[in-house]
Formats: sequence, structure tokens, C-alpha cells
Amino acid sequence: MDLQSFVTIQKEWDIVAARQLGRDIARKIGFGTVDQARIATAISELARNIYLYTDTGKICFEVIDNIDHKGMSIISVDSGPGIKDISQVMEDGYSTSGGLGAGLPGVKRLVDEFDIRSEDDKGTEIRAIKWVR
Amino acid sequence: MDALKLDAVNYKELLRNYINTQDEQSLYGAEQISKTFIKNSIPPEEIVNFHIQALTELYDEIPEHIRHSMDFLLETMISYGLAHQEYQTLREQQSELKSEISVAAGMQDTLLATTKPVIDDLDVGVISVPAHQMNGDYHHFIKGKDGSLGIAVADVIGKGIPAALCMSMIKYSMDSFPEATMSPKSILKNLNRVVERNVDPSMFITMFYAQYLPAESKLRYSSAGHEPGFYYDAQSNTFEEIETKGLVLGVSADTNYKQYERIINKGDMVILLTDGVTECRQGDRFIESEEVLDVIKQYIHLTAQELVNGVYKHFERLQNFQLRDDFTLIVLRKEV
Amino acid sequence: MNLKVDVAEENEKSIVSLIGEIDAYTAPQLKESLLPLTRIDSQLIEVDLEDVNYMDSTGLGVFISALKSTKENNSHLKLVNLQERVLRLFKITGLDEIIDITTAIRGGNQNGQI
Repeated sequence: MDLQSFVTIQKEWDIVAARQLGRDIARKIGFGTVDQARIATAISELARNIYLYTDTGKICFEVIDNIDHKGMSIISVDSGPGIKDISQVMEDGYSTSGGLGAGLPGVKRLVDEFDIRSEDDKGTEIRAIKWVR
Repeated sequence: MDALKLDAVNYKELLRNYINTQDEQSLYGAEQISKTFIKNSIPPEEIVNFHIQALTELYDEIPEHIRHSMDFLLETMISYGLAHQEYQTLREQQSELKSEISVAAGMQDTLLATTKPVIDDLDVGVISVPAHQMNGDYHHFIKGKDGSLGIAVADVIGKGIPAALCMSMIKYSMDSFPEATMSPKSILKNLNRVVERNVDPSMFITMFYAQYLPAESKLRYSSAGHEPGFYYDAQSNTFEEIETKGLVLGVSADTNYKQYERIINKGDMVILLTDGVTECRQGDRFIESEEVLDVIKQYIHLTAQELVNGVYKHFERLQNFQLRDDFTLIVLRKEV
Repeated sequence: MNLKVDVAEENEKSIVSLIGEIDAYTAPQLKESLLPLTRIDSQLIEVDLEDVNYMDSTGLGVFISALKSTKENNSHLKLVNLQERVLRLFKITGLDEIIDITTAIRGGNQNGQI
């Protein structure tokens, strides 16, 4: 892991900045157009959750370059209220953003690996990995 | 991966054909391939990508602005793709639920099974049809050693699974009562205590319990707030509502039930039902109980079973074959 | 199928006016408005059903749970101005004998008082 960068999410505009940075990294690693678009959408969802439900948080990116595969991690870290019932949040049809948002199940579908850790009143860390095909 | 590449190749060939010929056959091909895409779970953004790839391979130069516009289109498809995947997952879950419910409904059928009694001088007709998969209506026949016949008809508030679960409780407690010589009023009193202790405050059950004593041609009955049935007097060829008083089961722990009795003569009928019969709606209009009687009169010359079947078919048609509530109708006719 | 629920407060009395139909779809809405009122000690809750033209057993269930709640909380539930069809339901189920029902003259005093 040689490259690490992040965008702090406070205003709605920061969502766009996170998408932009994520897409640039994805393009450099060699992701195709479709996967770039998927990565950008996943970033949007994660960043919007931070923007809507927590005071501070950031979206970090890590480039993964192993011998056999290349990819990137998108890590969303916040110090918000935490997610009480993760299984419920991961259920289809239960979307915390209330509207048409793809929600966390959507993010999970957009990437190859997905993990959530959350502690009450301490915050949530979501790690999503996408591999170059 | 390979399937994806194959789809891309097929798409390109079809597109090339169409651009050259603009014929209906290529369009038919497009219809076919879009079905293949759905079958292979190809999301819409991938299809747009096939299109971009095909254009780039077919034409050396694509104008810059067209290329960008395609990228833009691809971006707008991502959320559609997600929504489609979610829809598929929900569909799978729904079919799982459906099969679970049908297993449960099968169990309920076994559990609540009751056989239509054969009694020398009594012609019995029964029909009970749930509005959904599981029935919230309940009826049961119990033959006593003394030759008497117990008939229970019950309706639980609401319908579907919660109602069905509640009915299983009633069935278990009825089975645990001693021999069927118990009188209607004591059966209701005992059941009321069970229901009051075991259900949610907003839940209740109505029941009509009758006991027929062939030796005396007598019917004894009590009602716990149940939709009143009808009595048909053959001699005067008239119907009357069976009047009863009694609180629904599950509301007040110490409820006593009044017991009534009457002698049944040859040709007379006792008609028991649930409010699924009287609460039939035709559009916004309600069916009045006189109308139920009118329909019964139409079939009165038939056997008891043919009669209840005929009445059910009538109301099923009236509601456009979509029952709003569980429907139960029992007819007892004294033959000798 | 719609139900409009209006609540007017008067000292220790809440007047709940209902307009529409009470069925499986609207019953939860009624329950939500009615139950909290029954939890107020020595409150009189008067439900005006003049404009309710249809009620099914789910509606009865709401009034039963409201009645049970009044007994636990020392409040009182009273139903007024019931239409014929709705009153029939309370009579069949025997609930008219345990719930305070005043069948006031239609078009008379809105509060159902004589």
C-alpha cells in the first residue's frame, strides 16, 4: 500500500470532491469506465451517509498492489452515533437515507469486498474493496 | 467473464446489422438479446458500455462529444442497475416467504382438520375459504359419546397469519377440554379465559357454539359476540335471525354466557356463518343480510352441501373472485 | 379508504371526532391518537362517530384496547353518535354492554350531552 489520500466530509460539496479523487485514483490503477462509475457511486453513498448523519468523517482511499491483483479500498470513517443494528441496515428496502438512495446494500453490490465495524457513540468504519478485473 | 465477452460480441454484431440494414429482423434480435441480458443479470450500465465498445470497434473515429455523451449515459444507469439487483433479491425473498407460508398453510389444514359428521337425521353442508393463504375462520365438529354433535364456528379479528396462529390456540384448548358433553356456555366460558390470558389487548375472537341433541331434536347454543346466524322454519317457510347475547372472547376474564335452546322440526335449517359472508362488499356497497337470505332461498331445494357451495360461488362472483375476508358457511338441515 | 382524526381538548376532556372509515388500514392511525389519551389519569375521552360510515373488526379491536387502557389508568372512554351499521357491530359483539355508548339524537348537541 503505497498511496493514501482522503477527503474530509462536512458540506455536500465534499461528496463531489471525494467522488472526483476516487475516480482519478481508479482511472490511474486501470479500472474501466463502468467500474469507475460504480466506484464513484459507492463513494457518493458512503460520503452522503457521513454528511447526513454525523458531524465529522472522512473518505480515505488506498491503492492495493499485490503480485496477483490490483485494486483499491474505499474507507469511510466517522465519529458519529454508530449503527445499532447492522443487519437491519444491510437489509434491502431499509434505507437510512429515506429516499431513493442505494444505501449500504447498494454499496456492497457495487464493490467486491465489504466490511462494517461500528461502536455506539464512537463511530463507524466501513471498508469497501474493488478489484481490477 | 467469458459470458460477458460473448454478450458484447453478439451485441456488436446485431448493432452492425441494424446500422447496415435497419430491418425488423435485427430489431427482433435486439429484443431477444435484451432478454438474454436480463437472464444473465447484465446491469444497464454494462449494456451502455457494450454500446460504447461496439461503436469504437465499428468506427475508427467517433466524435468526441458523442463519446462523452455515452459516458454520461453510462453514469446515469448505475442506480438503475442497483435498483434492478435489489428488485431481484426482493423477488427471491418473496418466493421464499410464499413457500414458507404454503407449508404453514398445509400444517394449519392438518391441525384444524375436521370431518363433516354423518348423523342419521341431519343433512350437513360446510364451506370455509380463506381470503389469503391462511384461514382466520375456524369451524369444528365434535361427536359426543352420548350421540350429541358439537358445532363450533369462530372468527378471529383480522386475517392472514396472525389470525391463523390465534386459531391454532383455540383448537389446542378445545382439544384439551374434557369430553364433548360440555355445554355451549361452559365451553365459551373456558375458552374466554384462555384467550383473555394469551392475546394482545386489541385482539379478540368471536364464536358461536351449538350442540345438537338428536334424541330430543334439540339445539342448545351460546354466542360470544359472533355474527348471528339464521333459523329457517320449514312449516312457515320463513327465516329469522338467531338472537343471542354474549361478549366476544378475550376482553373480560370473568364473562358468563347465556345459553339458548330450541326444538328443530323436520325440514328446518340452522345457518351459521362468519362476517366474511355478511361483510361482502360489491364495490362500495355492502351486502345486507336480507340479500344473503335471498341467495340462500335460491338454492334451498338443493342438498345442504350444494346449497353452501352455491351461495359461496354467488358471493365470490359478486366480489370479482377476490375474497376480502375469510368466508365460512355451515348449514344443518333436519331431514326426519 | 380514509380516516380523519381531530382531537379537541377541554380541561379534563378530550373530544375525538372521526370522519371516514375504520378498517385494517386506518385502525393503526386511530390507535395512535386514542391510546395516549386513555393514559391520562381521570381523563374523559369522548369519541364522536357521527361521520364514520364503516367500521370492521380491526376498529373494534382498537376500542377494546382503549377500554382496557382506561381501566388501568383510571380514565373513561365514551362513544357518541354512532351510525346504525356501526352500532350494530357493538351490539353483536356484546361490547355495547361494557363500553359507555350514548346514542344521542342525530344532529343534536355535538358533544352528545342532553
